[in-house]
Amino acid sequence: MSNKNGERRLSDLAVNILGLSVTLLVAFIVVIVLIFLLSKQPLNTIYYFFIGPFTNRYYFGNMLNSSIPLMFTGLGIAVAFKSSVFNLGGEGQVYASALVATAVAIALPNLGGLFGITVATLAAALTGAFLAGLSGYFKMKWNTDELISSYLISAAVILIVNYFITGPLNDPTNSLLATKAVEKQYFLARIFIPSKLNTSLFFALITVVLVYFLMYHTHWGYEMRICGLNREFARYGGINTAKYLVLPMLLSGFLHGLAGSMSIFGTYHRCIKTFSFGMGWNGIAVALIAKNNPIAVIPSALFFAYMQAGANAAMIHSDITYEIVSIVQAVIFFLITAEAIYNYFRYKPSKKYAERGGEK
Amino acid sequence: MRGDTTEMKSIQNPLLLMEGITKLYPENSVLANDNVHFEVLEGEIHALVGENGAGKTTLMKILYGLQRPDRGKIYYKGKEVHIKNPTDAHRLGIGMVHQHFRLIGKYTVTENVILGREPRRYGMLIDRKKARKSVIETARKYQLEIDPDAPVFKLSIGQMQIVEILKILYRESDFLILDEPTSVLTEQEIKRLFETLRTLKQLGKTIVIITHKLHEVKAISERVTVMRQGKTVAVKDTATTDERELSRLMVGRDVILKFERESIPKGETVYKLENVTLTERGKKVPLLDNINIEVHRHEIVGVAGVSGNGLTELEDIIGGLRRVTSGKIYHDGRDITNLSSIQLREQGLAYVPSDRLYRGSSLESSVIENMIVSNHHNFLRGEILERKKILNYVLAQREKYSIRCDPNIPIGMLSGGNIQKVILARELSTQTDFILFAEPTWGLDVASSEFIYEKILSLRREGVGIILISSNLDEILSLSDTLLVMYRGRIVFYEENKDLNKEVIGEYMLGLRDQFNSLNHTTPRTEVV
Repeated sequence: MSNKNGERRLSDLAVNILGLSVTLLVAFIVVIVLIFLLSKQPLNTIYYFFIGPFTNRYYFGNMLNSSIPLMFTGLGIAVAFKSSVFNLGGEGQVYASALVATAVAIALPNLGGLFGITVATLAAALTGAFLAGLSGYFKMKWNTDELISSYLISAAVILIVNYFITGPLNDPTNSLLATKAVEKQYFLARIFIPSKLNTSLFFALITVVLVYFLMYHTHWGYEMRICGLNREFARYGGINTAKYLVLPMLLSGFLHGLAGSMSIFGTYHRCIKTFSFGMGWNGIAVALIAKNNPIAVIPSALFFAYMQAGANAAMIHSDITYEIVSIVQAVIFFLITAEAIYNYFRYKPSKKYAERGGEK
Repeated sequence: MRGDTTEMKSIQNPLLLMEGITKLYPENSVLANDNVHFEVLEGEIHALVGENGAGKTTLMKILYGLQRPDRGKIYYKGKEVHIKNPTDAHRLGIGMVHQHFRLIGKYTVTENVILGREPRRYGMLIDRKKARKSVIETARKYQLEIDPDAPVFKLSIGQMQIVEILKILYRESDFLILDEPTSVLTEQEIKRLFETLRTLKQLGKTIVIITHKLHEVKAISERVTVMRQGKTVAVKDTATTDERELSRLMVGRDVILKFERESIPKGETVYKLENVTLTERGKKVPLLDNINIEVHRHEIVGVAGVSGNGLTELEDIIGGLRRVTSGKIYHDGRDITNLSSIQLREQGLAYVPSDRLYRGSSLESSVIENMIVSNHHNFLRGEILERKKILNYVLAQREKYSIRCDPNIPIGMLSGGNIQKVILARELSTQTDFILFAEPTWGLDVASSEFIYEKILSLRREGVGIILISSNLDEILSLSDTLLVMYRGRIVFYEENKDLNKEVIGEYMLGLRDQFNSLNHTTPRTEVV
C-alpha cells in the first residue's frame, strides 16, 4: 500500500507552481479582456501593460525597486501566517517605522553611513516589532483577537504618524506634506541609474534567505510552524505555545519595520504623508501568492511589482486608469484563496482518517 | 482464497445486490473496494465484518450515496438503482447510523428526528404537535424508549443511538445500516441495542451491521459477510461458523485472542495521584472527585469507564494539559503537581493520547516533524536542527516499529495504525519509568492492536509503570494488573485484576454498583445532570 502512495501525488512544489501558473494565466486573460473593453486602443495598451516595464532602464529599475518593500512585508505576513497568527497591522507598522527611521536619521545627522543607517533601521524595525508584538501580547494575556487588535492599533498609529509629518516634524521649506530630508550620508547607493533601484535590494534578498533558514532550519522555526499547524499538538509535545503567539508577531512587525526604513533610505529620503500606503495590504497579497513560503516571496513580490509597473506604463502611454491593477489583484486574490485550482492538482491529506477517528 | 467462497453464489432474489463494486481513494491510492460482491436478503440481520481498512465502511457509504463507486452496479428490490446522495438512499428506504452520531446537541429528540422532514402547518410553520405525536408513535411502534422532549446533549450515548435509529424509522426506511454501533456502548447498552434490532427484524426491517467484534456477529446476525483488503472473502451462515474461523478469514491467519500476561511481582511506586480533584470554575459537581491511584514498577493500572465520567479529564491532568484544583501528583517521589506540559516533557513525560489525530499528531506535518515534537532538542547544534541526524533517527525508528511510509509525506496520509505507530515510536523513545496510554488501540485493526499490546507488555516487563485508560473492556481485562472503574468523576471500583468479568465491570461503569459508597449499592442512581 505504501508503495502505491506518492505515485499519483505531485510534489507540493509542482502543485504550487502548476496552480500558480493557471492562476496567473487566468489573471492575464482577465487583464486582456478588460483592456479590450475599456481601452479605445487596446493593442497599444496591451503592449505597454505587458512590455512597458521592460522598455527602458528607468521603468525596469523602478519596477524592481517597488518590489523591495513588498518582499519585506510579504515575508512579515508569511512568517505570521505560517504560525497561524494574523498581522493585519502592516500598514501602520511600515508607516510608523518609516517615521522613526527618518526621525533618528534627522536627530543624528553626523552619524550617517553604514553605522547610522544600521542604528536608524534597527530603531525602525523595533518600532514595527513593538506595534505588532503588542497584539501578540494581548492575545497571550487576555486572548484578544490579534487580527482585530493589530488592525485597530495600526489604524490609530497612522493618524499619529500623520500628525508628526504635518506637525512637529514638517519641513516648512518644502511644499510637500513631508518631514525634512535625511542627510546625504544616509542615502543608500543607487545601482541602476537613472532608476531609483538601490542596494536595499540585496538586503531584501539576504533577509529572505535568513528568514527561510530561521523557519526551516532552527528549532524556533520548527516550533513556530508546528504551532501554526496544530497548537494542541504543540502543547502536548511540550512546546511553549504562549511564546509562539508573541514571537511571530514580533518578527512580523520587525520585517514590516525594515520595509519602512529601507523605503526611506533607499527611495524617498524623507517621510512623505501616505507614501507607504498599500505596502502593508499588498504584503498580504504577496504572502498569499507565495503560499507563505519565504523563498517564493521573491517571485511573488516581483510579479506584484510588475503588474503595478505595467499599469503605470499603460496609464502614461495609453488611455486606461490605474484601477485596472486593483481589478487584476482582486482576480488573483480570488483565484489563489479559492484553492480549487490547487486541489485539482493535489489531493489533500486524507480526510478519511479524520472522519474515522476525529471526535469521540 | 476462492476456496472460502463456496457460499458466494448468488441467491435467488436478494433484497440488495451489489456487484463488482470498485472504489479507489485517489488521495492515498487505496483500493478500498476491489470488485466487491455483496448480497442481503429481505428481513435478515446481516453482519459485515473485517479489519479496519477492509472496506466495510466504504461499501456502506457507497450504498448510502456518500461515495460514488468507480465501477459496479447496485440492485435493490430487483431493479438497478443509482444512488448519488443520501437523499436518493432515503427515497429507496435505506437509512444509515454513522459511527459518529450526527445529532444536534441542543435540539430535543423530536427536533432531531424530524430534521429535514418536518411536518408543516400552513406550508411554512413546523407543526410541533404533530411532529411530537408522530415521533412518539414511531417510537411506540418499534418499542423504543425515549423522551421526545429531552435535549439530545443530556442523553447517554446509548440513547443517542436510539435517536439515530428513530430518525431512520421516522423516514419509513426499511433497510438500516449501522456502522460499528457497539463501539461506544457498554455491555448493557449493547444488549439493549440487540434487543431493539431483533424487534425491528420481527417487524420486517432488514439490517446490516458493521462490526469487528466477532462475538457480536454470533449474538445478533443470521448471515455474515467477511471482507479483507477491499475484497469479499466469504459469506457464511452465522450458525455454521465460529469466532475462530471468522477471525481467520478476517486477518488471513490465526489471531491470538488471549495473550499470556506473565506474572511479575510489582516493584516500588513510581507514580501517584493523591486526592486529586478537578472542579470547573462556577460548578459544584467536580469532574474528578478525590482520585487516588498508585502505579508501581511492572504494573499496568487499567482505568475503565464510559465516556463523560472523568477519563478524559484524568488523561489531561496526567498529560499536564490541565491543572488540578486540589491534590498532589508524585513521580518518583518528586512533587510534579500542576507542572506544565513543557516542564513535564523536560522531565521525561511519555504519553500516548486518546486523540491521536489532533493531539497526538499534526496531520499536515511530515512524519519526520511529527516524530520529533517532544525530543527535537536532542538534535540541536547551537540553535540549528541537524536534519541529517534527525532523518537517520526517524529512519531507524521507522525500521524498529515497521512503519511503512516515506517519512517526508504528511502523517495524515498514513493509515490509523501507522499514525499510532509513529506516536508510539516518539513516546517510547523517552527514557522513563512511567507511561500513560489512553485508548491506544481505538479504531485500529487486529494486527496493529496486537503490535501495541506487545509493546505495552514488554514495557511492563522492563519495569515501567503504566496507566492504561481505555473504553475497550477486553483490552483492559486482559492487560491490567490492577483495574479501576470511574463513574461520574469518582473511582467506584479499584481491585487487583483477578477473576473479574465484563458483566461486573460493566455494572460498575454504569454506576449500578459502587465499592466505596454503600448508600447507592443496590439502586441505580437517578440521572440528574
